[in-house]
Amino acid sequence: MKRLEGKFNSFLYAVCALWLFGFVALPFLAVLAISFLSRGYSDFVEPVFTIQNYLQIFDFVYLKVFLSSTYLALLTSLLCILVAYPFAYFLARSSERAQAIGLALVMIPFWTSSLIRSYALIAILKTNGFLNQLLIKLGLIDSPLSILYTDWAVMIGMVYTLLPFAILPIFSSVQGLSKNLLEASQDLGATAFQSFQRVILPLTSPGVMGAFLLTFFPALGLFFIPDLLGGAKTLVLGAAIRDQFLMNRNWPLGSALSVLLTLGMFLLLAFNSWVKKRVQAPEEEGAF
Amino acid sequence: MKVFLCFIFLLLSPTLFCERLVIFNWTEYLPSEVIRDFEKETGIEVKLSSYESNEAMYTKLKILRSKGYDLVIPSTYFVEKMIKEGMLQKLDHEKLPNIRHLLPRLTGLPFDVKNDFSMPYLWGTTVLSYNSEKIKETPDSWKVLWKSDYKNQVLVLEDMRETFSIALKSLGYSSNSSSPTEIREAYDKLLKLKENVRLFSSEAPKQAFINQEVTLGMTMSGDLKVIQEENPGIAAIYPKEGFTIWLDSMVIPKGASNPQAAHRFINYVLRPEVSLKIALELGYSTVNKESLNLKAAAQMKENPLMNPSEEVLQRGEFLTDVGRSLLVYEDLWQRLKVE
Amino acid sequence: MKGLRLVYMGSVLCFLYIPIFILVLFSFNKATFSTDWEGFSLQWYTKLFQNQDLLEVTLNSLWLAISSASLSTVFSAVLAILFFRFRLPAQSFLKGTLYSLLMAPDLVLGISLLILFLAIGLDLGYLSLLIAHITFCIPFCFLTIAARMQSFDPSILEAALDLGASQFQTYTRILFPILKPALLSAWMLAFTLSMDDVIVSFFVSGPSYEVLPLKIYSMVRFGVKPEVNALCSLLLLMTLVLLFLSHRLINSKEVR
Repeated sequence: MKRLEGKFNSFLYAVCALWLFGFVALPFLAVLAISFLSRGYSDFVEPVFTIQNYLQIFDFVYLKVFLSSTYLALLTSLLCILVAYPFAYFLARSSERAQAIGLALVMIPFWTSSLIRSYALIAILKTNGFLNQLLIKLGLIDSPLSILYTDWAVMIGMVYTLLPFAILPIFSSVQGLSKNLLEASQDLGATAFQSFQRVILPLTSPGVMGAFLLTFFPALGLFFIPDLLGGAKTLVLGAAIRDQFLMNRNWPLGSALSVLLTLGMFLLLAFNSWVKKRVQAPEEEGAF
Repeated sequence: MKVFLCFIFLLLSPTLFCERLVIFNWTEYLPSEVIRDFEKETGIEVKLSSYESNEAMYTKLKILRSKGYDLVIPSTYFVEKMIKEGMLQKLDHEKLPNIRHLLPRLTGLPFDVKNDFSMPYLWGTTVLSYNSEKIKETPDSWKVLWKSDYKNQVLVLEDMRETFSIALKSLGYSSNSSSPTEIREAYDKLLKLKENVRLFSSEAPKQAFINQEVTLGMTMSGDLKVIQEENPGIAAIYPKEGFTIWLDSMVIPKGASNPQAAHRFINYVLRPEVSLKIALELGYSTVNKESLNLKAAAQMKENPLMNPSEEVLQRGEFLTDVGRSLLVYEDLWQRLKVE
Repeated sequence: MKGLRLVYMGSVLCFLYIPIFILVLFSFNKATFSTDWEGFSLQWYTKLFQNQDLLEVTLNSLWLAISSASLSTVFSAVLAILFFRFRLPAQSFLKGTLYSLLMAPDLVLGISLLILFLAIGLDLGYLSLLIAHITFCIPFCFLTIAARMQSFDPSILEAALDLGASQFQTYTRILFPILKPALLSAWMLAFTLSMDDVIVSFFVSGPSYEVLPLKIYSMVRFGVKPEVNALCSLLLLMTLVLLFLSHRLINSKEVR
C-alpha cells in the first residue's frame, strides 16, 4: 500500500482524525482527568487532586454495585448465549431460503426500539398481566406471581433486548464451519455429542465470544431496563453512573466508575483476541 | 424530497414564529386544559419538559447553567438552595397583581421571606395510603410500614428527602435533621424497611396501587384522586408522628430567555379560578385564598386530603435546605439503593 | 429431530414477537388502564395526532436522524476509502479509537461528551445531539462500508488518476456509485441507531431540541398508557416500511 498522497486526501484525513480525536479520545481523557478530582458542593468538580474516588469504589457500597451488576450482566449474557446457540446453529444448517427468512425475522426486533420492546414487557409481566393470567388459566399457579419489579423481570427484559445480538455472531460463526469437518469427525468414529464438544464448539468459540461481548457490555450499561422493569430497587452499574452525573452531582465518582467500566471492557477485548488467536492457529496448521 | 421538506417547514412555521414559554415541571403536574386556555388567551406557545425529582431538576439546570427554561417549579428546600447559589432571577411584583389572592400562610416563608424569587404554585402533603380491603385495622403511624406482615407490599417514593423523612419522623426526629448520627439512624431504619419495599417510585405510585402491586405505602395527597377513581378501596391517613407538608413554587432561572412570558404565566396561574382548576384536576391543595370560596370548591372543602384542617397541619413539617448535610443524605441514599 | 428444531426456533421467535404483538393489539383497546379487551377503538391514534408536542418531538428526531445518518455515512465512507487506499500516519491509533468507539458502552460516550460540551461551553441542543449521534454512528457505518470495499479493486482509481481525473472526481464519479448499496445500508443503520438512541441523548440533549425516545421514556415511566402503545405501533410500522424499502433498493441495485 502506498503512503498518503494528494492534498485533498490529506485534508480529508485530517478532518477525520481531528473529529475522532476531539470527540472520542479527548472526551475520554477528560473523564479520566475528572476521576482524579474532587466533587464540589455547588459546582460539579473542584480542581483538587485525589484518588479518593477510586478508594471509594473499593469501599463496600460501590464494589457491591460492580459485583451485582457484573453478576446480572453475566447471567444475562449466559442466558442469551444458551438460548441463541441452538437457534443460530439450527438456522445456519437450514436451507438458504430458511436462513434468509430466519435472519430477517431475527433482525426486525433488532431494528425496533429497545425502549418500546421493554415497555411491551410491562403489560405482560405485571401482576394482572398476560403471563399471570395465562398461567392461572392453565392452572399452573394459584395466585399471581409478582415478577414485575424484581431482578427476574430485569433479566427477562435484558435477554429480550439483547437476544438478537447473541444470535447473529454465533450464526455467522456456524455458517463459516466447513461441512467437511463434521463429516471427517464422524468418519473418524466420533458420536454426535463428541463431534459437538470437540469440533464444533471450539471452532465456534469466536462466535460465542462475540455474542458474549455484544451482550455483556450493554447489559452493564442499559439503565433504562432496570428502571422500567425493576422498580428502581437494585442499582445497576449503568444507573449508578447515571445517578452520579444527573442526580448526585458527584462527577468525579461517576467518572471513576466509567473509567473502570471501560478498563474492564478493554481487558475483555484483549482476552477475546487471545482466544481468537488460539482458535485460528490450529486451523492454519491445516489439520484437515 | 424538496416538496416534502417545504411541507414540513410550513407545518412547523406557525410554531417557529410564535412567542414561546418553556416550562420545566414535575411530570403531569400541569393540566393540559390550563395550558390551552393560557395559550388561547395570550397567544404564547407553551413547551413542557418534565422531571421526577428535585435533584434531577437541579442537576439539569446546573448543567444548562440556568439557561433553556423560562419557568421551573421546585420544592421549598430547593428554592432555598437555588436562591443561595444565584440560579434564579428576581420576580417583578408589579407584573404580578394577583399576588394579593395568595394564602397568607404560604407567603413570606423563611426560605424566601419577601417572595422575591418564588410564587407558590401548589401545595400538598405526603400521606400513608393503604388498601382498606386488605388491611382491616386503620393504621395511624408510619411504623406500620415496617411490619413483617407486609413483606414486598410496600411502596416508597423515589424521593430522597421524603423517604428519609418517614424514617426520621418514626424515630421522633425532625425531617430537616442535619445531625449525621440521626441521619445514620434513619438510614439503618430504612435498610430494614427495604425488606418490605416492592418498589421505589415517584411517578407510578398510582399504577402500583390501582394494579394492586402494593398494599400500602407513601403517596402524595393528590395521587389518591386518580387511585380512588379506579380503585375506591384505597384510603389514606395522616400519621400521628408527623408528615411532610410540601410547597412547590414557580421560579424563573437566571438565564431564562423569556421572563416576560413567565411572569404572565405566573400571574395567570394565581387567578382564583385557575388555581382551583389545577388543584381540583390534580387532587392537591390550592394556594389561593379566594379559591375556597368559589362554587366549584364545595367538594374540595370537605376532602381532608385536599383541604386538611389546621389541627392536622400542626403535625406537618415543611422540608428545608439542610446545607452541607445534603451530601450525607445523598451518600446514604445511594447506599440504600445498593444494599 | 427436525420437528424439535422447528419447535425450538418457533418458540424463540414467539418470545421475540409476542410482546410486540400485544403492544400493537392494545393500541386499539378502548380501555385505558386494564388489560382486558374492551372493544376496538382508534381513539388513541386520534389523540396522538392531536398532541402537538409529540408531533414536534417526532419531527425533531426524524430530522436529527436524517442529518446525523447522512453526515456519518459520508464521514465513514471517506475514512474507509482512505484506509483502503493508503498506509496512513497514526493509523493504528485511529483504528483503535474506532474499535473502542464500537465497543464502548453508550453510557461512557454520553457522559464523556457531556463533559466535553460543558468544558467548551457548548449549549446542549441540536448541535450537541448532532455531534453525539454522528460520533456513535461512525463505527457501524465504517464497518458496513469497509466490508463492501474488500471486493473492490483499487487499480481502477489509479487508472482514472492516470487518465487525468482529480482525486475528488475519482471519488464522486467512480467510487461512490459502486459503493451505493453499502452507503445505503450504512445510512439505514445510522438512521435507526439515531432514532432509537436513548442513553447518549439522555446526557447531551437540552430543552431547545427534544427527541422522541426521551419523550417516550418519560411517558413510559409514568405507567402504561394506550397513547404510548399507538405511538410505538406507528414507529414499528415506520421501521418495517424503511426496512422493506431499503431491501428493495439494495436488491434492485445489485441486479444492475
